[in-house]
Amino acid sequence: MTSVLPIILAAAAACAVTTSLAAMLMLAERYLVKYGTCRLDVNSSDRVIEVKGGKSVLESLKAEGIFVPSACGGRGTCAYCKLKITEGGGPVAPTELALLSEQELSENVRITCQVKVRNDMSLVVPEHLLSAGEYRGVVERITDLTHDIKNLRIRLVEPKSIKYQPGQYIQLEAPAYGSNPEAVFRAYSMSSMPDEDDCLELIIRLVPGGICTTWVFTMLAEGDEVRFNGPYGDFHLSETDREMIWIAGGSGMAPFWSMVRHMAAHDMARKTTYFFGAVRARDLFLVEELRKLDQHHEWFTFVPALSAPADEDNWDGETGRITDVVDRHVSDGSQAEVYLCGSPGMVDAAGRVVTAKGIPPERIFFDKFG
Amino acid sequence: MKRTPSEQRIIELLAPGALCRDGFLGDDHRELQEILDADRATVEALGLTHRDIAAALDDACRAAMAGLEAPVHLTSGNLVAEFHDAMGFIPSPWGEGKLFAKGEVVVTDPATGDRLVYTPLSVHLIGKHGFYQGRGSPYRLDPARVARLFGLGRRASNLDTTSGKET
Repeated sequence: MTSVLPIILAAAAACAVTTSLAAMLMLAERYLVKYGTCRLDVNSSDRVIEVKGGKSVLESLKAEGIFVPSACGGRGTCAYCKLKITEGGGPVAPTELALLSEQELSENVRITCQVKVRNDMSLVVPEHLLSAGEYRGVVERITDLTHDIKNLRIRLVEPKSIKYQPGQYIQLEAPAYGSNPEAVFRAYSMSSMPDEDDCLELIIRLVPGGICTTWVFTMLAEGDEVRFNGPYGDFHLSETDREMIWIAGGSGMAPFWSMVRHMAAHDMARKTTYFFGAVRARDLFLVEELRKLDQHHEWFTFVPALSAPADEDNWDGETGRITDVVDRHVSDGSQAEVYLCGSPGMVDAAGRVVTAKGIPPERIFFDKFG
Repeated sequence: MKRTPSEQRIIELLAPGALCRDGFLGDDHRELQEILDADRATVEALGLTHRDIAAALDDACRAAMAGLEAPVHLTSGNLVAEFHDAMGFIPSPWGEGKLFAKGEVVVTDPATGDRLVYTPLSVHLIGKHGFYQGRGSPYRLDPARVARLFGLGRRASNLDTTSGKET
């Protein structure tokens, strides 16, 4: 026993020294190391910004008004904030390795919340992110659309207007509350018309346990100030005259409610059939408004469907899963474009159906976020 | 208990507000390793593996998702599954670069009223990490309850679901 004790003591001492050194290095990195001013060259000198080194690329860009979408708040888990860092990114951190494919690594794609600005860097930022801004607004109205879907109308305060295309989305900030220690951002498509540029409307479905939707459903009130950034996304009407097939469910309604009214207001008479799926009548919303548009515009057809209507629903419309309804209605889609918005499962299932109808992948546009 | 930096990071991501409102640990004050060990003991006592349990949950999840929110009768047993859609994705607290569809799977045995509620992420956490979530977590899945509902393993009904020991 006496001969083992010195070994244990020596091992404990070595552990203590190693731990202390690691802690000192971390503290030194945090409080003592000064990286000075670093230059971030965006898109081959389209924009050059100077930032104080030491923060992550994601935070540094945000401070300069370049908002890169992130679902996990910079914790290095969601992998949304990927950008190409062509120079100065340094070695790839272990936390990034699990989030990047071999191809992405070979193309210098990085997880920007995990890359610290320590020196000058060159970055490639998609154009649509450069045009996004930060906004402040006031909740003008909250309306129940169904038992678990609300419409949120926000009047802009600063800046006072926003430009976007129907189908694009913003990131709404839910502030810290309760046991949620930090603000989080969640993406929602605009359901409003871009012509009304001093207001935004969002269609938000309650996510069980969701940080942002719980805040919207239980705490947010009319008159409250909100913050958001955007617009983002390339899910918008193409510049062709092709016939369109839209398929959505739940809050996937949002971009299409914006698109159809935009098309009507601008006399864009593109043949469009909109398939909207729900389980029961209580899950449907905006049906009367869409039926009116259907009656007034020859180019627009609205097909709501219920997959499991109850007797008391008195439903005499289409029944079945929305993918089965599309399958019955569309005989040849080879010349059409398809737009899908809904949950990942719905989007994937609808994608398979329209592919079987002869629609090539390059003409299938989707938004899995709504 | 000392934790490695990666364990500490996982613990932080399991906390309420990090990735979802309620987090993954509920009111369970045990160390993560203790939670994992206790559930592993339960699974072993059932004569199963985490993968067996994840596979049953995954089959039900896939069938439910294909129903696009309408109830679906599962081919195995007399169970009914439903998927309640939610927009967006959630990452794994283990940070593997994978994103999982939000939304809930509800599997019910109409004969007994037994019911399980879980998410696509739950399936991954069980299959890959043997993590069934802490007690009191909204999506805690007790392995013995899962086994009983799906008719998996041996003597599932004789297990004390709290300790994982046979009674």
